[in-house]
Amino acid sequence: MSSGIRLDEEHTYDREGPLLELEGVTKYFSQESGLLAGMQFDPGTFPPISVDREHVEAVDDVSLEVRPGETLGLVGESGCGKSTLGRTILRLLEPTEGDIYFKGENLADLSGEELRRTRSDMQMIFQDPQSSLDPRMKVGQIIEEPMRAHGLLDDEGREARAKDLLEKVGLDPRHYNRHPHAFSGGQRQRINLARALSVDPDFVVCDEPVSALDVSIQAQVLNTMDELQDEFGLTYLFIAHDLSVIRHISDRVAVMYLGHIVELAEKEELFENPQHPYTRALLESIPVPDPREDGARGVLEGEVPSPVDPPSGCRFRTRCPRLIAPDAYDWADGEWAQTRAFMRAIKRRSFESMSAAEMRREFFDGRPPGGEAGSVVEEAIDLVANDGETDREADDEADCWEAATDLLLDSFAEQSVCARERPAYELEPERGDGTHFSACHLHR
Amino acid sequence: MSSEPLLRVENLKTQFFTEAGTVRAVDGLSFEVREGEIVGLVGESGAGKSVASMSIMGLVEAPGEIVAGEITYKGETIFGLEEGPDGELRKRDDALSDEEIRTRIRGNEIAVIFQDPMESLNPVFTVGGQLREFIELNRGLGEDEAKAAAIDMLREVGIPDPEERYEEYPHQFSGGMRQRVLIAMALACEPSLIIADEPTTALDVTVEGQILDLVDDLQAKYGTSFIWVTHDLGVVAEICDRVNVMYLGEIVEQAPVDELFYDTKHPYTNALLDSIPRPDRTVTELEAIEGVMPEAITPPSGCRFHPRCPDAREVCKRVHPEAKVVDDAGGEPHRAACVQHDAFDVGYDESPPLEGVAGGVSTVRDEGSGDSGADSELAANPTGDDSGGGSRE
Repeated sequence: MSSGIRLDEEHTYDREGPLLELEGVTKYFSQESGLLAGMQFDPGTFPPISVDREHVEAVDDVSLEVRPGETLGLVGESGCGKSTLGRTILRLLEPTEGDIYFKGENLADLSGEELRRTRSDMQMIFQDPQSSLDPRMKVGQIIEEPMRAHGLLDDEGREARAKDLLEKVGLDPRHYNRHPHAFSGGQRQRINLARALSVDPDFVVCDEPVSALDVSIQAQVLNTMDELQDEFGLTYLFIAHDLSVIRHISDRVAVMYLGHIVELAEKEELFENPQHPYTRALLESIPVPDPREDGARGVLEGEVPSPVDPPSGCRFRTRCPRLIAPDAYDWADGEWAQTRAFMRAIKRRSFESMSAAEMRREFFDGRPPGGEAGSVVEEAIDLVANDGETDREADDEADCWEAATDLLLDSFAEQSVCARERPAYELEPERGDGTHFSACHLHR
Repeated sequence: MSSEPLLRVENLKTQFFTEAGTVRAVDGLSFEVREGEIVGLVGESGAGKSVASMSIMGLVEAPGEIVAGEITYKGETIFGLEEGPDGELRKRDDALSDEEIRTRIRGNEIAVIFQDPMESLNPVFTVGGQLREFIELNRGLGEDEAKAAAIDMLREVGIPDPEERYEEYPHQFSGGMRQRVLIAMALACEPSLIIADEPTTALDVTVEGQILDLVDDLQAKYGTSFIWVTHDLGVVAEICDRVNVMYLGEIVEQAPVDELFYDTKHPYTNALLDSIPRPDRTVTELEAIEGVMPEAITPPSGCRFHPRCPDAREVCKRVHPEAKVVDDAGGEPHRAACVQHDAFDVGYDESPPLEGVAGGVSTVRDEGSGDSGADSELAANPTGDDSGGGSRE
């Protein structure tokens, strides 16, 4: 907490309450742009032309807070919306809906000039150390540019500060006049750090800052980021897909899946006591650098659905190994698990046509469920079974599979509470004294 | 163990002749792969892992050239050099010709899976068409049979609805599905050895998990051997039987996977293990390796790791260690290229420690491991050139 490296010591945010607060932040992208975007032509209807804009629901109704001085890790697979959320927070993207409060002020209410000034308190570090630095600028200019844009210091002051910062991030101040190409990936990421810190921000969004680096360099950069956080009193939103890195650097961790936050808790709590099936699956799938660790891996089936038409309710339900049984039917032990597996196998068409008897054996140990649920299952089996008709046309066959899929999904998956309500539960944490949020109906 | 290994690589050297000088990308590599095992080739970028695997396939292109070494596959020499009457190196007579390697070895006996599945598939042909063509050419099947085999293969690697997806183009597949297609292609001719060059690096963890499981299953079914090139020690721990750790073109440690993690014999392997954050426990302080890997064009004298090595002593600057057997790991040799082991006997114990960990190379600034723990990463930058320097990544 030393030194004149802080530009406005007294300006540090030390009020009670979160530094940053998101309330129902939503970001949709329209898929096409332009005058005729989304125009549909259908001669069968009147009028034959309709406008139907499809949206990519990148971030949907996300609420969270970031406390001063902490590192909030935001983890998820590619395409889950974590980078979009990071950019929306900085208002590099306009949120479709929702409010973002920074130091208690609603960023949406700020005028252009006020927003610009607030930006000197919020900075960003990007993933690709190659493309985020202008190859024609010298390192000194790169680091001074944000200060110039915000009218901080005079020429000499900026140069002195740039050199100071180079030293702080572990580079040689004599490199002030070099171009970015003369630096390795790790060093470029340090230049990025220096640039972000030049305007003395309170909050830095780090978007996969170390994922392009080799492991040994990764550790060096992570350590430097740690030290800078102490010295500059920084608050980080650390976006990454690598759970090991997140576990190392974060205080609290939010897990994102397809635009929703599915779980948020303190680090130890989240890693040692994960409550959402998606978090569990993620944790189980990371290869642990220990050959004696037994390889019990709960591999997720299928793929992430498209964010254009995401599943209703819980977005993870289409892959969830613990999808809740629909209440409308009576299930004996194990029947739901078998039916769920059967439904997904039909949906993914992961087996070749077989006879009805074979299917019953394969998926239900020869004893399909009884009652109402049983009759739905039987109907689906009849649809795809290949006994009787030998030479079915490929098209017919595809139709049958589709019909069976629709039948099963409508009767079972869509009836589950997972499909009908969006889950959100506060749990009692096992470790630490924070809160534990889990978006899963298993906690009903 | 007495039986002949599937693949034996001996003293392989691959160099690139560039304007700036000779890059010794692979410098005296020796290892073997036995039937049905997964051998890891681990290292950071620039260690020479990919060049080594391309050399085995005979796919090194100008300005690169294999300048020494012998590669034996199932008792046949697929690469070997001898000195001709004019003093020039030339291919040995008993080595297979390029023609034979192309028709008999590549694809049929040894297949490759690359890191980037988008670049390995041709975007203007359907996925099925590409797979069918590969099978037609390598297995000599007719078009219809090849198509049936291709669809079988797609189902085998877990692609749902393979008949329909056969007709689709690579851009319609997700990254994980494309990687499955490449695995299908590699397995299509039931090769005995597959070289997998960072096949899961570009994938998300859950997809990576799926692919690793798939490889496990397929390996159990077909008994294929793998050379698994990766930088991820987690993946190594998960699937490899034996591991070769590479640093700057050389193997610094070679051991069965358990010994590598629990009885580490080389300081580089140790440092690598200490520098990774763990998913299974919280590590508050990461012990970063000082500095960066020097360029292969001007490797440090003596042991190539000595400028970054915490255990480096004066002798390490002078003596270049070849990997030697330093321990017996349940019948398997455990090799390490570090003079601190008794097997070397070059006076390590008496030798004075080197000043400052990152001392050796032409450092720009050498303020020790100081506060940021990262200063010496600068080592890769040339000194004194304030106009921008010449060293690129």
